[in-house]
Amino acid sequence: MPPIPNLTAADFLPLWPAVVLSLAGMVLLLSEVFLKATEREGESVRTYQAVFTVGAAVLAGGLALSLTFEPARAVFLAFAVLDPFSSFITAVACLGLALTALLSDGFLRQRQAERGEFYALLLFATAGMSLLALSNELIMLFVSLEVMSISTYALAAYLRRGPRPTEAGFKYFILGAFSSALFLYGAALLYSASGTTHLAGLASELGRIFADPSSDRRLVVYCGMALVAAGLAFKVAAVPFHMWAPDVYEGAPTPVTALMSVGVKAASFAALVRVFLAIGRHVEPQVPVLLFSTLAILTMVLGNLLALPQRNVKRMLAYSSISHAGYLLVGVTALFVPQARAGLPGVTVLAAGTRADQADALRAILFYLLTYTVTAVGAFGVVGALERREDETRGFGWDVDRFSGLAQRRPGWAVAMAAFMLSLGGIPPLAGFMGKLLVFRAAVDSGLLMLVVVGVLTSAVGAYYYLRVVVYMFMRPPPEQATLAPHQWGTEVALAVTAAAVVLLGVAPGLVTRWLGPAGHLFGQ
Amino acid sequence: MSTSQLVFFGLAFATLFSAVLVIAARNPINSAMSLVATFLFLAAIYAQLLAHTIAVLQVLVYAGAIMVLFLFVIMLLSLTHLGDPTPPPALHQVVGGVAAVAVLAGLVVAIWRWHEMAPVGRAREGLLRFGTLEQVGGLLYTRWLLPFEAVSLLLLVAMVGAVVVAKPRI
Repeated sequence: MPPIPNLTAADFLPLWPAVVLSLAGMVLLLSEVFLKATEREGESVRTYQAVFTVGAAVLAGGLALSLTFEPARAVFLAFAVLDPFSSFITAVACLGLALTALLSDGFLRQRQAERGEFYALLLFATAGMSLLALSNELIMLFVSLEVMSISTYALAAYLRRGPRPTEAGFKYFILGAFSSALFLYGAALLYSASGTTHLAGLASELGRIFADPSSDRRLVVYCGMALVAAGLAFKVAAVPFHMWAPDVYEGAPTPVTALMSVGVKAASFAALVRVFLAIGRHVEPQVPVLLFSTLAILTMVLGNLLALPQRNVKRMLAYSSISHAGYLLVGVTALFVPQARAGLPGVTVLAAGTRADQADALRAILFYLLTYTVTAVGAFGVVGALERREDETRGFGWDVDRFSGLAQRRPGWAVAMAAFMLSLGGIPPLAGFMGKLLVFRAAVDSGLLMLVVVGVLTSAVGAYYYLRVVVYMFMRPPPEQATLAPHQWGTEVALAVTAAAVVLLGVAPGLVTRWLGPAGHLFGQ
Repeated sequence: MSTSQLVFFGLAFATLFSAVLVIAARNPINSAMSLVATFLFLAAIYAQLLAHTIAVLQVLVYAGAIMVLFLFVIMLLSLTHLGDPTPPPALHQVVGGVAAVAVLAGLVVAIWRWHEMAPVGRAREGLLRFGTLEQVGGLLYTRWLLPFEAVSLLLLVAMVGAVVVAKPRI
């Protein structure tokens, strides 16, 4: 028998946000049982579910933020880490959850589809994201990835009224399971080469393999790395692993799409960064740089080009989400440019001593994830508010025409949507611009000029399709028989919060970047 | 080649052969039966790797419980129409196939070039007790406690998700 491990309360510290979220999910599941039959059919009884979810998200997010002041260390027999980076990712996921829950309340009520399970699955998915951000071992990472993914598969198939949502749920499930298998195969190869699944042990063993020039295990390590990268690239929807994203984002209920595009993406990026900082820095330095810069260029170029012809705004936002994964990958590439940069593909040495440390790139990625979270949830919120029930049943997507004259019909929504679109396009002084600025600065400091040039050019392309929505809202007359959904307080609050955040983060990013100071530290680096 | 290697290659070939039959068979019942064979051969490979517990679980859970469900579904659907002959592959299917073969070739080369396959220098007597129920249970409840607990959350999520997806109308 192995000895009983000596665990203390400190070992459970980073798990608290996930514990709070999953307990809240279980309470919601049980509370459904105690509703009377009349209440179960009633109109507004279920608002408590959204409010409860928001409360749990705020509590878990607050706990995560308070954990950022703890020194970074490995806990729970090195299966998990407590570091500011993972705590911030958890906080961002909780923010996404709270906003999504606010949007869901009105969205589900209009469709008479309010159920406790919906919010419970949202909470479980976020608990999975939190666990994913703090896993420090490949099996733990895989289990958390599955907690997050299986909740989102079920959520994507939640409202199956018509062929499109059914297709979305099925496609997401099959391709997601396939990508998990790829990740698992890669992890198995890495284990067979190194004899351990702990990231720290893996790093030191890889260091030994690559220090020995006659080692015959290098190719196996590279195969494992490539498969793990492919599995995680599926989750963040990076080109060429993006095929599922537009169909799934279009078919899923709009609040779920919002959570998928922000929370799932943030947590998967956290896992990608943590795994590759452990294994990518001991292999030959050009390999991770080449891998991530190729992914970044493909994702930025194809994501933006494919979004251009889309008149269906929900689908356009899906492609936009792909292209934003590309900008984040630029930041990830910057993490892997080593001190001595000569001879690396795509790296231009500007001047000695300009190298930003890794911490700057990590902070930039976190800030970008935060700005993208508030912007994308807001944009999907407006889309969801304008969506009509028959959109899902008819096998036909909805056109940008729906936005015509929104400025006269709902000026508040139009102004908010304009802010989200301009922020996604990276136009100053909004949040998206500051996010891009920080990521591109980290990349320039690492000498990745090529990537930054591609990034700036593709953002200019992106401005075209974002501005088209703005033009329709402000410069086209409203259609004759325009019926709009009644006001829903949850949607209004969420839109107000996100719009305010988009402006604030753009005008005064210092409010947040000051907090991000310690987040550049990843345990073990 | 030693005896254990011969046994392994025999089992591996049988596994792959029945796995190919699963996707090549035109009749779904044949397909399901080949899947049972695949699971059994895999269980034998686990047993050869001294993972007895996993081998037993493989037979009980996969070849037993899950396959019964598969067969029920096939019987309830009563598939008589076997579909049209497959159309000629489209361009993206050809490209995908070539890419898949390239990945396979890469893996084969990588593993071929790697001579000593046992990274962990475990003692022989340690290996003999390696896959027993006692060992697996002991590890699960001590060192691997956190992933074990995370799996319980995973099972809950899977159950709730299955109920949500199975509801005819929400």
